[in-house]
Amino acid sequence: MSAVWRAARAAVRRRRLQTTVVGVVTGVCTTMIVVALGLLAASSAPFDQAYARQKGAHLVAVFDASAVTGAQLTDAARRPDVEAVAGPFELANINIAPDPQVPPLSLTVVGRGDPAGPVDRLNLWQGRWASAPGEIVLNQLPGGTSLVTGVGSQISLVNGPTLTVVGFAFSVSRSADAWVAPAGIGALHPTSLQMLYRFAGGTVSTAVLPPNGLEGSQSYLTLREVAAAEALGFVAFLVAFGILGLAVAVLIVANVVSGAVVAGFRHIGVLKALGFTPGQVMAVYLTMVSVPATLGCLLGVGLGNLLARPLLSDAFRNLGAGSVGVAPWVDVVTLVGLPLVVALSALVPALRAGRLPAAEAISAGSAQHAGRGLRVQRWLSGTRLPRPVSLGIGLPFARPGRSALTLAAVVLGVTSMTFAIGLANSLTSYQNAVERFGAVQVEVHGPNLSVDTVRALPGTQHVAASAQLEVRQIGTTDETQLILYQGDNLGYQMLIGHWPAAAGEAVVSKRFLLQRGLSVGDPITVELNARRIQLRIVGEVLQNSAYAIFTDSRTVPDFVPDTVEVQLAPGTSVASYLATAEAAGLQADPNTHVESFIVIVVATASLLTLMLGVVATLGVFNTAVLNTRERRRDLGMLKSIGMTPRQVTVMVVTSMALLGAAGGLLGIPIGILTHRVVVPAMARAAQVDFPSVILHVYSLPLLGLLVLAGIGIAALGAYFPARSAARTTIAEVLHNE
Amino acid sequence: MSDVVVRLTDVRKEYGDSIAVNGVSLEIRAGEAVAVMGPSGSGKSTLLNLIAGLDRPTAGSVVVHGDDLGRLNERGLALFRRRRIGMIFQFFNLIDDLPALDNVALAAQLTGTSAVHARRRALELLDELGIGARKNTYPAQLSGGERQRVAVARALMNRPALLLADEPTGALDSRAGEQVMDLLLDLNQIGQTLLLVTHDERLATRCASRLIEVVDGRVANERTLERTP
Repeated sequence: MSAVWRAARAAVRRRRLQTTVVGVVTGVCTTMIVVALGLLAASSAPFDQAYARQKGAHLVAVFDASAVTGAQLTDAARRPDVEAVAGPFELANINIAPDPQVPPLSLTVVGRGDPAGPVDRLNLWQGRWASAPGEIVLNQLPGGTSLVTGVGSQISLVNGPTLTVVGFAFSVSRSADAWVAPAGIGALHPTSLQMLYRFAGGTVSTAVLPPNGLEGSQSYLTLREVAAAEALGFVAFLVAFGILGLAVAVLIVANVVSGAVVAGFRHIGVLKALGFTPGQVMAVYLTMVSVPATLGCLLGVGLGNLLARPLLSDAFRNLGAGSVGVAPWVDVVTLVGLPLVVALSALVPALRAGRLPAAEAISAGSAQHAGRGLRVQRWLSGTRLPRPVSLGIGLPFARPGRSALTLAAVVLGVTSMTFAIGLANSLTSYQNAVERFGAVQVEVHGPNLSVDTVRALPGTQHVAASAQLEVRQIGTTDETQLILYQGDNLGYQMLIGHWPAAAGEAVVSKRFLLQRGLSVGDPITVELNARRIQLRIVGEVLQNSAYAIFTDSRTVPDFVPDTVEVQLAPGTSVASYLATAEAAGLQADPNTHVESFIVIVVATASLLTLMLGVVATLGVFNTAVLNTRERRRDLGMLKSIGMTPRQVTVMVVTSMALLGAAGGLLGIPIGILTHRVVVPAMARAAQVDFPSVILHVYSLPLLGLLVLAGIGIAALGAYFPARSAARTTIAEVLHNE
Repeated sequence: MSDVVVRLTDVRKEYGDSIAVNGVSLEIRAGEAVAVMGPSGSGKSTLLNLIAGLDRPTAGSVVVHGDDLGRLNERGLALFRRRRIGMIFQFFNLIDDLPALDNVALAAQLTGTSAVHARRRALELLDELGIGARKNTYPAQLSGGERQRVAVARALMNRPALLLADEPTGALDSRAGEQVMDLLLDLNQIGQTLLLVTHDERLATRCASRLIEVVDGRVANERTLERTP
């Protein structure tokens, strides 16, 4: 065994570049695999995972404190199907007025001793838990919009005490809007008791609820439908990237490792000539590639975990689980699986080498000398192409297996790039359509707005006045906004039906329709200041909100606008218009809303594409290194008959650029197909609808650029080995037979 | 016969602590056939590499056909090799993926000659060397002698001022070796300047008109030869 170890150690030392390439490629690919598997793992039922992680309540029930006692509630929960129970917690409804301009907000506050417990473990992501009267912790998503500026802010109750915000926590069960210490709830005049239940297998049973005193209950199934909608939007594209990443990584590792063994055929022959048995030869080669591969694998697992954490946290932030990590099984599978891929990739050529007679193995290792590759080379010799170019084009045909693996990696790299760019374009185009960037450039806000004043400002082309009112849709408990419009329809895209043209006509988003089980043509009733208003849905508008009803301003008498949207005349700059509006005493802002969902998707897709691009480039780099090493003698001869260093570089780069061009041509349609499948799937998951134009994002120049991207990946990967080949010392190569 | 094709002036080549060529000065005139002989490690191959522009001297100057190789960059050296010299190696160094014809044509194609013209000239050369019938054969299917003839054809493709041969018969059986010797002799007799590096005294005395013996990197002896038939 010591002979095997010594030979392997010597081989590792002698082939520093190859050892480094195997280590780096394995490391980067492991990182990719951990991220890809991590994404796939997290993408499977993200809501359920977040719920399980936080021991979310399967049932949240609120009881009238005067009708039922805590003991009765606890006794009723003693059933075999109840896995865990928390409560009773005292509950109070309070009203706060954070802004004198807006009506008071109602908050449900619960008195809880700590954020932990058997049910509804809160993610206390900033500050600390409330420990004394006068302190409050707000339920808020990490990074979400806040009622207050931060920890230490004060919240004044309408006709009540002032509370100090000491922390922010998130409840995936949405069990309360805020929490105070049990000692502090009394001051808020609680009238109810809250119970939180977890059931075995997640099967909700209302039998645990005592019949008397129940004020309301909420099953986690309802939350699951709503809360997971956005996260599910991520799932489709994360799954696509996960699969692409996994495939690229395995392909490249197999290519690099098998290439390392094939490149060592001559060395294998020498070992056999020295008396190494086939088994020992295989052991030498397995050890030789396993040492850098194992090191790369270990580093890659660490790096993958580091990289996956922010990606996953961003993707699933709306489930409020805080920092989401890679599932432990992913690390285990990678640590076992990748060395297995490495071993198998090395084993196949090593077995072949083991069976070869020593003399044959010594003479092997150069390009194949028969078959289709020769015919291609011969045909290329007669073409009008510059000879270094035609020689380069012929090179991949000498090692068809290796070229195929490299091509596959480039194809997947270009597929990812095509998909990512298409995804970003579709999302941007969707964002532009939803936010109406082309139609509305400025919004003027404030009380006592005069539409005529805005219309009279120089640079105004069209205006639309609107007002947003908080209403309640009869038959639901969801918050709803009634948005009244007067004037031109500035850029709202109708997917079905028409824009409201008369009092009582309304349009809503796809999400609104789906979440409330409505269709275009259905009537709805909303309640505004105890007054019921009848509306009829006359269309589906391209919008995200599940809570907004757009209607004509004549639906509500005494319409007072709070916003005037402005479309500027051609040639008017936003900055100059804002200055003019300010000079006229108006509060005007540019229309620059960008949805964080889209920002995160585009950023994540860019990062994943970059990683895939790096891995594919490394794959090409490795192939170019192996090819130039194997062809050292040919390169030396070509230089001896007058091939310039530049011509050598051109030849080697061309050999890989051909694979890049082929990869581009094959990867683009696959990328477009992926885009065509994933984007509608994301839309369905996110409950949004969009016009088909949003899918048509691949222009001819863009497709041309994507082919160039494939060539770019290949050329970049080949450039450094090509430069190194160009510097080959001819005398050393040609006399070293 | 008076034109100097190669002029080496006090050339020295070191590899780390080892001195491969130590203060060699020599001249080769147009049409001459010069053989360089010496024991293994004497520096004769290094000398050939320096003259071919495959390596650079540590000191001294190497001027071939008017080009001072020390003043040329890598591209300049490549163009020099392309235009001024042809090389023949012991192990032929043919490209296994290309048939004989394309191996020969390659040298001209690198200069930008069209494939049609390059192949035409390559075929002429292969015919002249007696292996025109083997033009479509790949190196692996050629005998050693045939491979060396293909290598000679390739070396002559760009009509070089100087033909350099490094142990051209070293990997051949005696019959093939004889054929290659005849070929080199014929070439010299039609005016091709020739520099041979060899261990083979028969090759030297048959083909060369002058013999330079190199020992420990120095010219130990130099004499004119009477060619033996």
